[in-house]
Amino acid sequence: MEWQIAWRLFKRELAQGQLILIVLAITLAVLSVTGLARVSERLQVAINGEASNFIAADRIIDSPVELDSQVLTVADELGLAHVTNMQFNSMVYSGDKFQLVTVKAVGEGYPLKGDIELSNGVTRALPSKGQAWFENRLGGLLGYPKSIELGNSELSLTEEISRLPDAGFNPFASSPVLLIRLDDVAATGIIQPGSRVTYLYQFTGNAEQLTAFELQAKPLLNNSQRWVDVQSGDSPIASAVQRAERFLLLASLLGIALACAAIGIAAQRYCQRHYDVVAMLKTFGASGKQIRVLFGLHLSLVTLLGIALGLLGGLLLDIGITAFLPPEIAAYSPPYLRPVLLGVSTGLISAFMFSAYPLMRLLAIPPLRVLQRQLEGLQLGMWLHLLLSLAAMALLGYLYSRSLALTMTVVLAVLLLGFLLSVLGFVMIRFGHGIGMKTTNPFQLALAGLRRRARQNAVQLVGFSSALVLLLTILALRQDLLNEWQKQLPENAPNYFLVNIAPEDAKPLNDFLSLNHINATDIYPVVRGRLTHINDEELISGKQAENGAEGRVGISRELNLTYRDTLPPNNKLLEGKFNQAADDVSVESGVADRLGIILGDKLTYSIDNQSFSVKVASIRQVQWETLQPNFYMIFTPEALAPFAYTSMASFHLNDAQLAADGSLLSANQVVLQLIQQFPTISIIDVGAMVEQLRQIIDQVSLSLSLVLALVLLASALVLIAQTEAGMATRQRELAVLRTFGASGWLLRVSTGIEFALLGAIAGLLAVIVAEFALYMLKTQVFELVVYMHWPWWAITPVAGAVIVAILGVWRCRQLLNMSCSEMLKAG
Amino acid sequence: MSNNIDRNTSAITVTNLNKTVVTQEGELTILNGINIEVKQGDSIAILGPSGSGKSTLLGLLAALDTPTSGEIVLDGVALSGLNEEQKAALRKQKVSFIFQSFMLVDTLTALENVMLPAELAGVKDAKQKAQTMLNRVGLSHRLNHLPKQLSGGEQQRVAIARAFICEPKVLFADEPTGNLDIVNGDKIADMLFALNQESDTTLVLVTHDLHLAKRCARQLVMENGHLSEPYADNLKAAHVSAEHVEEVN
Repeated sequence: MEWQIAWRLFKRELAQGQLILIVLAITLAVLSVTGLARVSERLQVAINGEASNFIAADRIIDSPVELDSQVLTVADELGLAHVTNMQFNSMVYSGDKFQLVTVKAVGEGYPLKGDIELSNGVTRALPSKGQAWFENRLGGLLGYPKSIELGNSELSLTEEISRLPDAGFNPFASSPVLLIRLDDVAATGIIQPGSRVTYLYQFTGNAEQLTAFELQAKPLLNNSQRWVDVQSGDSPIASAVQRAERFLLLASLLGIALACAAIGIAAQRYCQRHYDVVAMLKTFGASGKQIRVLFGLHLSLVTLLGIALGLLGGLLLDIGITAFLPPEIAAYSPPYLRPVLLGVSTGLISAFMFSAYPLMRLLAIPPLRVLQRQLEGLQLGMWLHLLLSLAAMALLGYLYSRSLALTMTVVLAVLLLGFLLSVLGFVMIRFGHGIGMKTTNPFQLALAGLRRRARQNAVQLVGFSSALVLLLTILALRQDLLNEWQKQLPENAPNYFLVNIAPEDAKPLNDFLSLNHINATDIYPVVRGRLTHINDEELISGKQAENGAEGRVGISRELNLTYRDTLPPNNKLLEGKFNQAADDVSVESGVADRLGIILGDKLTYSIDNQSFSVKVASIRQVQWETLQPNFYMIFTPEALAPFAYTSMASFHLNDAQLAADGSLLSANQVVLQLIQQFPTISIIDVGAMVEQLRQIIDQVSLSLSLVLALVLLASALVLIAQTEAGMATRQRELAVLRTFGASGWLLRVSTGIEFALLGAIAGLLAVIVAEFALYMLKTQVFELVVYMHWPWWAITPVAGAVIVAILGVWRCRQLLNMSCSEMLKAG
Repeated sequence: MSNNIDRNTSAITVTNLNKTVVTQEGELTILNGINIEVKQGDSIAILGPSGSGKSTLLGLLAALDTPTSGEIVLDGVALSGLNEEQKAALRKQKVSFIFQSFMLVDTLTALENVMLPAELAGVKDAKQKAQTMLNRVGLSHRLNHLPKQLSGGEQQRVAIARAFICEPKVLFADEPTGNLDIVNGDKIADMLFALNQESDTTLVLVTHDLHLAKRCARQLVMENGHLSEPYADNLKAAHVSAEHVEEVN
């Protein structure tokens, strides 16, 4: 029977539009979670997929020795695809010409991700046995011979490589690449015990396989073996991807919080509207169980409808967004399971947790209310409602983001908002007593209205302010992230690197560049040296440490050292002063942290077997993502003067820019001239990578804008839910004021002022909370520079006042135009 | 439709009933030592000025509220021994209500509103019964109308149909014509008394309206928490005139 009544009530209320708000709120929560989870997963998979093309695999283990077979067994057991490659430097000969090359010996299956780009197109094949493919630079250097000698083997040069998928980005890898088969290596006889060689083990698989692999394989690695994935540190894409992911998470989290607020308000409205029904049902003898079952079922139907519509909306949203994505991204289609499950659980959790308190009050309505209309029964503290809501939000937030920092930031921001509101509520009630109900002055009437509805206003302010907080936070973060990326990858980000610039070439090169209107970065001298001691303590290698030696572990390779007088662009001084005395050195903050270097430490280097010491005078932060020459250690010119050096620089060059400068040459022609004039300088073209980076950033920007749109939608819903909630009492008051002769003008203006004041207060609160939330987010999650948004302090209260006033008067327009009797009747 | 009743049996017996509430100014006595006996099939009107305690008494008699002290026996069941659930079950079986503000569910149709108590009581052919009831109150052409599509009089007729659908032993009516004009009020009263007669229901009616009260077999006046029956012997000879009662109101 209860089922029939519940179904009938649901059907009728739905048809009469009474459930629109609560259904819409649940729909929006589910829609934003499902839609955003789906879109962000698609983007994430695509970004990671595109990015893993950069390393030609999902994971790489980089090792100076052959890997313990146990690791590969683990990979096999987990069903990961893997391939073993080797990389070493060697000389190749062709007639009387010789050249140092990086030999990349690859196993069958290489590359696991991405393609090899040859000069005549893309291929998935590998060189045949006895063949070698060569990087175009090598062909030029050796005069395009038919074959070359590598160790004991003679290999025929068959294809010219334009780009290897895992060419990576290392401007110091100045020797050209020669690609051969792994099984050709033995015949060359080059690899002897003790030879310097790098084994690169590449792996690919699905997310679960990779996670399991990481868990099982990582402990098997020693210190000299490096675990590499798309997001591990050095990759210029890594931080962009990570931040974008976190942003998407945060935005969805805030979207959920907003939708939850809308559900909370709508649920309260829903319950209030049923107070009389419950009282009547109880009067007619409905048992507690019957009422619980009836409204439990009713609310379940509402929730189910909301969830169904939300899922549908989420999928449509995904389809809509996918239509705008480039086909290579749209082609990635991660499983629907997680977004759908997330959506459904969001709907269930938010609907039930947020309506638990209003529902409890509803069920406790005494039957006597049929005779005494003011009775509301159970008066549990609001704290219970808040506690439940906060718990729901935190639970959902954590479920969704799986990030404690993000979840805690949102919870803390909510708590701050709650605190501010309770202070404000107290002030309004405590100090507003003097204001009467003069029916001549609209401002006083508005103030009186605000005070009278102090409690209700506090609730309304929650909605207004949280909507504004979220908008501000998302807007600011989005802008900051875009700016940050734009800064890293400006339109003229360097796309060519010049390395091995001989000192005598520096001047002619500068002349060549300026003649061709090319703005290059500064030319950085590069000296290779090894850090041997810190404060006279000898550093040990990772291998020694592993064998039980005690001491500080250093960097077991030669570093590229440079010198200059001034702090390079894109570097930020964290401590100390930049290179004042001749024996000063400036150290990058990451390496300083790793080696435990502090200001004043004495560092000893070995360069060309000569030892010399310098003092740490400053610690710098370096933006590794910028495509500029970046260095761990920067010395003064005096310190490195005795040593031989080559230089490096980077510049941006494209056809459009050349044409704009009036040049008749194309970028390729200019580069060719450069090669011809400076045959010893190595030119590295990173244009493709820059392009790829830019594409990723564009995609992420798109998703950021989308999220913003959703948050706007959620905010609008909360605002509407808010004004809706106060309509009934407002209507009665307006009717009374009208009856006592208040003019339409007075009522309209005072209603407008009341809403404007509410909006202004909400705006002010929102700025305070948003600044706090941004501080937390930037310091704890996004690693962005914190600054205050002063213009907001003026703009937001004004904008809040205008928006809320317009919305409020618009909502009340019917009431304001009604006659007294109409109003009283409707009330 | 008629209940098989014994007119000598008590439908309601009230003994020494008191109700006090605690307010900011201290304890306030609303009902003070009330004693009534209402026989089955009887109809009584409780008159009295606003705030005299009429509605409180009605709430107590109908097992909607709990007295501070005293005893109420409703159709042989002592209310003091019952918890809220048992009271609800008792209301379901034995009593029904008509309110001044109709108390219809505004999202349900007339038919669905009438069906509601029958469905709660688990009556099988609730729909059919509701149709019959609406027919009896002359609303067979308004079955699928929502309350807001009906006039005040029509809404109260729906409420009457709803009140009688479960054939209650006792019907409590709180100002049933209070929201209606004289013509509609009279019609509703006619209908209420006619149905009451047909069903042999015990009627307890709270009203300001002496004219309506006079249609009941007994009239009790509530004043300052005390109940008296001034018109018990001869209504016309009573020292409180109708005008006086109206004045008091």
